[in-house]
Amino acid sequence: MQVAFSLIDFLLVAPALALFVASCTPLLIKVLCGNQEQNSFATLIYAYVGIVVAAGFTLSMLGVARSAFDGALVFDGISFCTTLIVLLVTAVALTFARDSYSTNPGQFTEATFLTLNAAIGMLTVVWANDLIVTFVGIELFSLSLYVLIAMSMEEKLSKEAAFKYFILGSFASAIMLYGISFIYGTVGSTYLPDLLQASPNLLATNRLFLLGFVLLLVGICFKIAVFPFHSWAPDVYQGAPTPLTAFMATGVKAVSLAFFLRLVASQAFTVEKFWPFVDVLQWLIALTILVGNVGAFRQKSLKRMLAYSSIAHSGYVMIGVVAAGIGGSSMLGAGGVMFYIFSYSIMTAGAFGVLHILEPHADADLTLEDLKGLAREKPWVALTMSILLMSLTGIPPTLGFFGKFFIFSAAIKQGLVWLAVWGVVGSVISVFYYLRPVVAMYMEEPLLRRGVLRLRPLSYFTVAFLGLLVVACGLAAEPVYQAMLSSVSQVF
Amino acid sequence: MFLSLLIFLPLVFALVLALVPERWVRPSALLLSVLHFLFSCVLFYRFDPQKATLQLVEHASWVPTFGINYFVGVDGISFWLVLLSTFLTPLVVLGSWRSITSRVRAFHLAIFVLLTSTLGTFLAMDAILFYVFFETSLIPMYFLIGVWGGPRRLYANMKFFIYTMAGSLFMLLAIIALIFMTQEQSGTMSASILDFYHLQIPFVGNTFLSTQTLLFFAFSLAFAIKVPMFPFHTWLPDAHVEAPTPGSVILAAVMLKMGTYGFMRFVLPMFPAAVESWSWLFLLLGVVGIIYGALVAMVQPDLKKLVAYSSVSHMGYVMLGLFAFNIYGATGALYQMLNHGVSTGALFLLVGMIYEKTHTRQIGDYGGLAKVAPLFTIAFLLVTFSSIAVPLTNGFIGEFLILLGTFQSHQVFGGLAVLGVILGAVYMLWAVKRVFFGAEGKVIREHHGEGFDIGARELCVLTPFVILIFWMGLFPNDFLNWSKSSVENFVQHRGHYELNLEE
Repeated sequence: MQVAFSLIDFLLVAPALALFVASCTPLLIKVLCGNQEQNSFATLIYAYVGIVVAAGFTLSMLGVARSAFDGALVFDGISFCTTLIVLLVTAVALTFARDSYSTNPGQFTEATFLTLNAAIGMLTVVWANDLIVTFVGIELFSLSLYVLIAMSMEEKLSKEAAFKYFILGSFASAIMLYGISFIYGTVGSTYLPDLLQASPNLLATNRLFLLGFVLLLVGICFKIAVFPFHSWAPDVYQGAPTPLTAFMATGVKAVSLAFFLRLVASQAFTVEKFWPFVDVLQWLIALTILVGNVGAFRQKSLKRMLAYSSIAHSGYVMIGVVAAGIGGSSMLGAGGVMFYIFSYSIMTAGAFGVLHILEPHADADLTLEDLKGLAREKPWVALTMSILLMSLTGIPPTLGFFGKFFIFSAAIKQGLVWLAVWGVVGSVISVFYYLRPVVAMYMEEPLLRRGVLRLRPLSYFTVAFLGLLVVACGLAAEPVYQAMLSSVSQVF
Repeated sequence: MFLSLLIFLPLVFALVLALVPERWVRPSALLLSVLHFLFSCVLFYRFDPQKATLQLVEHASWVPTFGINYFVGVDGISFWLVLLSTFLTPLVVLGSWRSITSRVRAFHLAIFVLLTSTLGTFLAMDAILFYVFFETSLIPMYFLIGVWGGPRRLYANMKFFIYTMAGSLFMLLAIIALIFMTQEQSGTMSASILDFYHLQIPFVGNTFLSTQTLLFFAFSLAFAIKVPMFPFHTWLPDAHVEAPTPGSVILAAVMLKMGTYGFMRFVLPMFPAAVESWSWLFLLLGVVGIIYGALVAMVQPDLKKLVAYSSVSHMGYVMLGLFAFNIYGATGALYQMLNHGVSTGALFLLVGMIYEKTHTRQIGDYGGLAKVAPLFTIAFLLVTFSSIAVPLTNGFIGEFLILLGTFQSHQVFGGLAVLGVILGAVYMLWAVKRVFFGAEGKVIREHHGEGFDIGARELCVLTPFVILIFWMGLFPNDFLNWSKSSVENFVQHRGHYELNLEE
């Protein structure tokens, strides 16, 4: 087998290389300076430079669908959009991490290194055109995340969360790998286009392939936190340091959904033999929405509440995935999913960011009590949080409204009316818990004396930026949606 | 540009208010709201009442992929509702001069944001734009009740929000379905209400599961909750009792109209066949609402709750008039919307004024108030006359037209609705008797009734209401002529309603 890589291959993966160089530089400096932790701001700047360069490379490679390294990686619209989303949330998460009490001040360099490498893993998943590469990407970001969670200054929950995530994550990876092995056994290739081409035929005729395909989907459903593979999410989201939760809840879901989209683009859902599984998936989505919303309703801890709500959001976005998979106007579904990934990432990162800003120490687990009367003390933070929560609820004219609008439109167009109705029922339930923090901030008197908070200008700025984005992109939903539609048009 | 200015000026004013010094907030809010009202009066010059078309139209692309546009326009149906909203705002600002003491700036911001969203709701001619304004109006009202409300405000607030949001989300699904239907039938996606009117929506009689019936109910649910129709009214008394006076006034006078306006703009013209076969249900619920609201109002010990339940009763008339499907019913319904805005708005203000001084709303605590507060008593009586539809007042014209229309099409329901007129007189007059006449009550004995009467500021607030009550009662054509051709068009073209753009 002849292996020949051209320059263009390296240019295409340059974003990952840029991130890698940026992640190594501060670490190298630290080692060369006798393992003395350097200025954390400088570390952050290295990371920013890496991210900006990566974004620049991505933007300059925009346009034609290409593949690199003999087709192992593919650079199409989906990769492009998701890459930008991942880079954005990485920058956001690093900004928060520097300001966070849960980050060990002596280990920020290592945290940056791991975060950026997790981002590289995520990018690998988005670009992957081969199941093995996908798997490597998933493992890369998962392993980085396990360590990052465990590195928290908080001593109890984070260790439990890291361990739980590690065990369950490995379990899911194993299931996925098992599925991949069946697929390899039947198709004789792990190359995604081969697989997608063969899948409609094989799904109808070959049970082993069917099993493999289902197991593969189960593995991804675990990462997206679809019921009944969701149970890790609340514990892990709560235990992880908040900046990292913001990163995990958005980045991991975004790339897993992008991968899911690639799989359903194969028209697998239109195969008659596979319909029972599509039905099961629809039921799982309905249950995901229910479990997420009802679960969130019962939580005291705000992080846990947002974790459950993110499960509910997985349910909404999966409606779009099914709509994209069942043929017909699948563009609507896929465009809706991409838009939702974008809107969800911004809202969720912002909401966790606000919680991070308000955390008085590393062990803090904010509850509604902590938010009481916030509007008087920190009116701008309260306003931003309210906007983000309203957006999560789906109140117009925010980004979240249009996210739901596009998803529900796709569902109705594709005849999945019952899922749309179910999504609406879920949204109504979600009003309860999304508005409770607003009530606490604006309509209740402060009960506790809030501790003096560390001054975190960068975090404030980032959160404000995300809040602004939620409103601005809501008012200007069309260009974003068009970008998403054109991004999926190459695949669907 | 005119309508956009009208809609978004309050938002600009809100920004201005955010910047002025604290002690200037109230005066500048009053000034700006008066200016805005005067500005809205330009409508009298720009609007041509002879035409039944949509006028002063503005059109800009928003989300073209789904045919969603920024599309506003005014016709005879929305004309008065817009003016009602702008008319009430300065009065509400002035009326709350004393009663709102905390977070004054934020309060006025909420009032102005609310004004933008209500005006947007009445003027939007694109279904999604309408939905956006319809939903956004919840947020300022949510804060008005939640921040400045009574002791059980959080419960009432959540109930209010959930009820309205639940209804409107199903409407969103229905709007999406209609948008796709425009694509199927005309080739291009459009969320314009005008294009929705052209749709041929499949209808099968005698079953619930037909497209038109389902869409009809999805829209009806949203608006029936907002109106509120029996049995979806339970959020209203809670919200009203807990809301601060200005919140109650706007809620009753303007926000409830969004529901009836929605019926007029969406439900009746878009789903004629479903409306035809289900009108009995709405007539029945309307009549039940009229009588039930009146009966419950009768036994309320709390004056504000009494007014709240009277709203349920009054809005029942509007629904009755709308579903009578004739010129009298429709005209009466539109007129009754305005009447209710004026009279119930004034009643809530009056209840608020006396509450500020006595800190009780229990009817049992009052008695003999007429002696110590003569001016207040006169004002209250005049508004009560309007509310119970005494001839010469505006209430009479509205209820008379509605009953006339109902008798013409459905005599049984008309007969039952007349009962409501009697009951209305009973509960209001009985309450007036207990509050203003008879032996001196607890409040008067304790406070010796000093300073209970209304002052100059309150007189300024109430005078416009009283003038309107008699003006609308004596010269209804001054008002009805402005919407006549639109309402005629609405009634005559039932089943194939069209709203054309101004040439």
